[in-house]
Amino acid sequence: MVNTNLYRIELKRYRNSFIGWSISIIVFVILGMAFYPLLMQEDMLKQITAFLENPFMKNMMTAFGASIEIWTNVLGFYSTRNAMIIMLIGSFYSILLAGKILAREEQEKTAEFLLAKPVTRLEVVRSKLAVYLTYLVLLNIVILIIGFLSLELFKGDSRYSLKAFIIHWFYALLLMLVFGAIGLFLSLLIKRGRPITNLSIGIIVGAYFIDILSRVTPAADKFGYLSPFKFVDPGVLRYDYALVGWRVMYFLGMSLVFFALTFLRYKKKDILV
Amino acid sequence: MGKMYVIETHGLTKYYGKSRGIIDLDLKIEPGEIFGFIGPNGAGKSTTIRTLLGLIFPTSGSGRIFGLDIVRDSKEIKKQIGFMPSEIHYYEKMDVLELLRFSANFYGTDCAPRITELAETFDLDLERKIIDLSRGNQKKVSILQSLIHEPGLLILDEPTSGLDPLMQAKFFDILKEENNKGTTIFFSSHTLSEVQKMCRRVGIIKEGKIIAVEDIETLRKKQLRKIQVEFSQPAKISDIECPGVIAPKVEGGNIFFLYSGSMKDFLNSLGGKDIKDLIIEEPTLEEIFMHYYSEENGKH
Repeated sequence: MVNTNLYRIELKRYRNSFIGWSISIIVFVILGMAFYPLLMQEDMLKQITAFLENPFMKNMMTAFGASIEIWTNVLGFYSTRNAMIIMLIGSFYSILLAGKILAREEQEKTAEFLLAKPVTRLEVVRSKLAVYLTYLVLLNIVILIIGFLSLELFKGDSRYSLKAFIIHWFYALLLMLVFGAIGLFLSLLIKRGRPITNLSIGIIVGAYFIDILSRVTPAADKFGYLSPFKFVDPGVLRYDYALVGWRVMYFLGMSLVFFALTFLRYKKKDILV
Repeated sequence: MGKMYVIETHGLTKYYGKSRGIIDLDLKIEPGEIFGFIGPNGAGKSTTIRTLLGLIFPTSGSGRIFGLDIVRDSKEIKKQIGFMPSEIHYYEKMDVLELLRFSANFYGTDCAPRITELAETFDLDLERKIIDLSRGNQKKVSILQSLIHEPGLLILDEPTSGLDPLMQAKFFDILKEENNKGTTIFFSSHTLSEVQKMCRRVGIIKEGKIIAVEDIETLRKKQLRKIQVEFSQPAKISDIECPGVIAPKVEGGNIFFLYSGSMKDFLNSLGGKDIKDLIIEEPTLEEIFMHYYSEENGKH
């Protein structure tokens, strides 16, 4: 069971940081999408098309999964430009929150207080996990709403599939969940709960570049599957775009494995404060 | 199982990797007693307490509190424990009342009247943020959170450091009050004098091992004294001949030793000797430890 007392306190404790991250995502999405109508102006589109003819820029665009054809569709623009940034920000939020929420008790030496109360180790992990999941889902609800609003606001003449938008959104949520699970587990491997901020950022950035590399270099395509980013299907404009079983299984499987490892580890961990 | 102890450990051992925590600890704490747990820093006091509380897990051996297993039944046990850690670290953004409520809620009891009452006794402002409190006031918060749910066992890890003498006296009064209501108290400290006032029995721990468990009365009766005698002439050990002299040491004209026995006999034994100076003082805790230590070694 979740300890409601601990859940409530922790929820309050991470509320302000949640609000901060939400605001930054909202700002990013709105600023990002505001470029779409500009891009769609006739002369601007021509200029950009010409600019993108050069091979270097073509490669760059491929790296980000974009092309001018994709960009002219509002959802294509959203998914390659905004959703990418959202996935990055969301993944940072997820891994940092999860990497902190449990380890912080050791780092700030409050574990001695907490674990002297009548709670089991598992209740502590479950309560903290529940807080983490609450905020992860809330952040993604913010993303869903602001994403939808920005698409509607800036779409102009462009048409898009709401279903594709939601599927892509859901992939991103699963991606963030995997990073959270990894962060939570890694934070427990560190003695006395020292912060793993740098490691976490390194993991996200590393995974992101592995994914990009695999897109630019066809030879490295398989290599890309080392990165969770690779498992997000970017093809929002395909008519058969859907939630694919093996992708979803990958995300859920990875998350479950790391959550399970966290439970096993925390159950036996010596808390040295 | 025979007699029921509040705390009972058998061969409780904890190693951190290869480094020693506690070795083969056998403790038996009786219901309603105040037990002093004495040892220098690094002796294993906190390791013992953390093992009892399930913060760390024993390498071998076992322990029971209220008859429940310290590893398996840790949650049940902790419902009946109040714990005061040696170092205080709280969620700094909380104010005092918030922290105390948070603490009390774990026990599922409404502790509001008791919080108010205790806060008044200790003159503690409930609306201040924890981070703004002085060390002494933080210590008071620690006292309160350990007491509000009226636990059957109080585990106190060096509880008096940072408390001014007035608060210390109040604190001891409250401990006695709780004890009179039947609360067993496990009081860890590195100063014997502090524990002497409170405890009926003390256990002495050194380098991870319990080297003695004694009634305070017995300790007092032993009246261990630290004595230095200075002779006009270079001294020999044989200059001091009296039963009860422990571990004499000669340095120039001085002989240093511990003495346990009648002061009259000792002074008589010095009669007629060419003494320049005589210093008799209360031994430090460390010296008492050494005494127990040498006794312990002598036995084996």
